[in-house]
Amino acid sequence: MQRADDTLSRAKDGDQTAFADLVREHQAMVFSLSHYFSRDRATAEDLAQEVFIHLYQNLGSIESPAHLKFWLRRVTSHRCIDHARKHRMKTVSVDDAPEPVAAPCFQDTLMTEALRRIVATLPEKPRLVVTLRYQEDLDPAEIAELLDMPLNTVKSHLRRSLVILREKVTRSLGVIKV
Amino acid sequence: MNNFDDELKLALRREDPSPDFTDRVMARVAELQKREKPREEAGWLRRLAEFFQPPQMRWAMAGAMAILLVVAGFGVHHRRESERRRLAEIAEGERAKEQVMLAMRIASAKLNVAQKKVKEAAGQEDRGLKTEYRR
Repeated sequence: MQRADDTLSRAKDGDQTAFADLVREHQAMVFSLSHYFSRDRATAEDLAQEVFIHLYQNLGSIESPAHLKFWLRRVTSHRCIDHARKHRMKTVSVDDAPEPVAAPCFQDTLMTEALRRIVATLPEKPRLVVTLRYQEDLDPAEIAELLDMPLNTVKSHLRRSLVILREKVTRSLGVIKV
Repeated sequence: MNNFDDELKLALRREDPSPDFTDRVMARVAELQKREKPREEAGWLRRLAEFFQPPQMRWAMAGAMAILLVVAGFGVHHRRESERRRLAEIAEGERAKEQVMLAMRIASAKLNVAQKKVKEAAGQEDRGLKTEYRR
């Protein structure tokens, strides 16, 4: 924690190496959020770059490492929504959904691949809520604060998305362990 | 927590971007800094130029006009006030002149009366002396 604090304050003082450390520390989080949302690796990298450039321009307003994490998740989420609005992204059917966002490695199961493909078919906001819940392990209250969304809306998005995901996975794979 | 949640967590785990991602971000940061430096150096010149550009100039013009109006208003007021004072002084002089004329007229009338009385008294005295002389 002390080291993170130190890195942040050095970056705020203009130390570029410290800023590069911050990017390295948080790039997986920012990139994955964008990636599971945009369903496209190049777009996700562009979005993540924009988020870090925005961070560089607003480093002065970051108060602590915890604030930095919250800020990055919030800005990434909003950038994803803005990007979707600008490019009028549409939800696609499971059959039309792109291949899994990461090239499957030997650990990936069929279930993992199917889930990624099906998450990509959810509408924008539920997709973001599900990603924040399961990628970032945030509870509904934290997601509500992050997205400026009523808590009940977040809970309802989660409930309905899980029902859809279970149904589609069952239909796709035939079995589901609960 | 159940298996389905675990499966979702596994499916949506964090993944790294391309290996050169940090370098590309830092290259953009460097580019940004390069663009900002000349902008900072030319800052004072730009601010001066901007001052004479429409929005700032409008305010400056409005300020100048307001000052001009106040000065002109003060000038007109001052001129009217001196004119009024000058006319009042003339009127006062006229009044004083009339009073002097009236006083002179009264004094002249009084002198005429006195002169008449002196003449009458002198005439009576002459008549008395003549009568006494005849006697």
